[in-house]
Amino acid sequence: MSASKYSWLRENLSEMLHEQFVFRELLMQLTYRDLILRYKQSVMGFGWAICAPLLNMLIFSVIFMRVAPLHTSVPYPIYAYAGLLPWTMFANSIRFSAISLTLNVDLVSKVYFPREILPFSAILVSLVDFAVASSILVALMFYYGIRVTPAIVFLPVILLVQLAFTAGLSLLVAMGNLFYRDFKYITELGLTVWMLATSVVYPVELIQGRLGIILRLNPMTPIIDAYRAVLLRGELPTAAPFTGAALFSVVLFVFGWLVFHVEEFQFAENI
Amino acid sequence: MRKISDSSDPFILFDHVWKEFRRGERHDILRDMLPALAQRVFRGTRNRKLHAGDFWALRDVSFEVKPGMALGIIGPNGAGKSTILKLLTKLVKPTRGSCAVHGRIGALIDVAAGFHPDLTGRENVYLQGAVMGMKRAEVARKFSDIVDFAEVGDFMDTPVKRFSSGMNARLGFSVAAHLDPEILLIDEVLAVGDLAFQQKAFDRIAELVRRKIPVVVVSHQLERIAALCSDGILLHRGRIVCRGSPSQCIASYVEQQSSDLQTSAGRCALLLHSIYAANRPEIPSGKLAALLVECSLPSPAAQAGPLRSQSEEIVLRVRSTETGEALFAVGTAALGVDLPTGPFALAVELQMNVRPGLYVIETIVRDCVLDKYLANGPHTSVYVTPGQLFRGKIQMNPRISVLRRESFANCDPKTI
Repeated sequence: MSASKYSWLRENLSEMLHEQFVFRELLMQLTYRDLILRYKQSVMGFGWAICAPLLNMLIFSVIFMRVAPLHTSVPYPIYAYAGLLPWTMFANSIRFSAISLTLNVDLVSKVYFPREILPFSAILVSLVDFAVASSILVALMFYYGIRVTPAIVFLPVILLVQLAFTAGLSLLVAMGNLFYRDFKYITELGLTVWMLATSVVYPVELIQGRLGIILRLNPMTPIIDAYRAVLLRGELPTAAPFTGAALFSVVLFVFGWLVFHVEEFQFAENI
Repeated sequence: MRKISDSSDPFILFDHVWKEFRRGERHDILRDMLPALAQRVFRGTRNRKLHAGDFWALRDVSFEVKPGMALGIIGPNGAGKSTILKLLTKLVKPTRGSCAVHGRIGALIDVAAGFHPDLTGRENVYLQGAVMGMKRAEVARKFSDIVDFAEVGDFMDTPVKRFSSGMNARLGFSVAAHLDPEILLIDEVLAVGDLAFQQKAFDRIAELVRRKIPVVVVSHQLERIAALCSDGILLHRGRIVCRGSPSQCIASYVEQQSSDLQTSAGRCALLLHSIYAANRPEIPSGKLAALLVECSLPSPAAQAGPLRSQSEEIVLRVRSTETGEALFAVGTAALGVDLPTGPFALAVELQMNVRPGLYVIETIVRDCVLDKYLANGPHTSVYVTPGQLFRGKIQMNPRISVLRRESFANCDPKTI
């Protein structure tokens, strides 16, 4: 990397961080806005955060316990829920981020602020949902008598890796949808396929052959498996795949944010 | 590029700014976008090709706004006024040239942009404050002032979707008006709410302007520009076509707006050279404005083409700068004024029975036989201040007399 490239990179990175610092209260206000909007004119309010992963768990429990019984190291319902919980956070972040810019046309086209804030706030909202929905996981752990082990100290690392991966992708999807509304639909389809290509409701290692090799490249599988490892099995995540996923996540995050930052000056006139 | 001596003072410097916008969509297909994106990111350059159908929203615009200066930008729709504000608020970047803004911006532009209809007034005040760059603590401190100013105190816990549009705008304005900016940008927010609130909003802005910070005002309410600004520029199709005092710019704007006719000589015999206000340019409402119009009419022998001078007259037309509407016109023929040949001047008195504001007085040559305007002459402007004679929109020539009680007692009102 040449010296000018390096200074360009450094300049942009410091500008990105500085802007986030200056506008930190806006990120909080927008997240707060979306959270309070959640329970306005809604009876269930935050209950909806629990509803989706819980319902999915019930459906897949019927499929993989009655229709096509599947052997898992822990009881299937908690296996599925521990996968559905982080997956739902990921999928919702991407889903909300995709429309975050276009849903706030007035803000984007009329007021200056770092636009990253909108997808970031979508992720924070999904993170709150994640926290609410993890209450069910805690209950299931009690029910199945799964004890918490010291491996749980690794949980924040997994969460950070997942957030970096989610944020990198969210920024790219949000930007894509600003220029082309197709992204919204691509995102929906992509997430459906992606969930089945990830160890969310069944271990994807069961798929062998050429397809299996391709699926090994999916960074979401090591991340979701890592949750199960530290929470349900009391082990550390499998080193190689998780490290690979972590490195990829960091690179994606920096890349996504840089592209977003370099392009965002065009958002107001292109939305 | 000129240097600013004291770099700690806030300022705005537009240096030969060109801004291009496109008419159509940016990338026709997704396939074009990804390589273009990757190229931009990896090369870090912002070079761009010129596409067919792009147009220049601003062409070579330069100006400077220093502390204590209030710049009024006027011009017809599409002249580039809003583009200037978008450049100032960093929403868009110039295609060529540079746009430097030094200081914390307070923008009274789209003051309710951050409002969400489902949130209450209170929640929206905090949200809008954050959108405008205020800290939560700052909003909390100014909260009661903001609510009092907006006059929506009883509705702060009501979702703004149930607000009237006036209440919405008042609340948005009020949040923005409590910013503590180093640079103030104002766009068309002077028409918020009812008349009483407009006056209050105007006073508040005038108060901010008096803080001697750089101010840029964009408005179609020309008399507000005249009252607020120290300097003006008139834009036309992206270019600065007039630069000077606000009233100079306003007069040339109003002139431009009504100039469907050519100023060129040759279409008529009468030549209008100049018009100016004989007394001071500020006239209390209801008082007389004295004007002098210098003209000349060549003798019939010297006139080229068909002889028209018999039917030509000079028309004076008064136009409001507030609405752009022509309010009054009168011609010399109707008044029975005979125009001599050779150079002459008309002394004109107009009773300014109009609301306070800025008025432009135009001169036109009209053919009263064909009933057709032939050419525009020069124009001048008159600033009408609030007068003692009457208030309101029109003068109804009131006659009021006092009747003694004894004559009043046995008097039938109909016979007075």
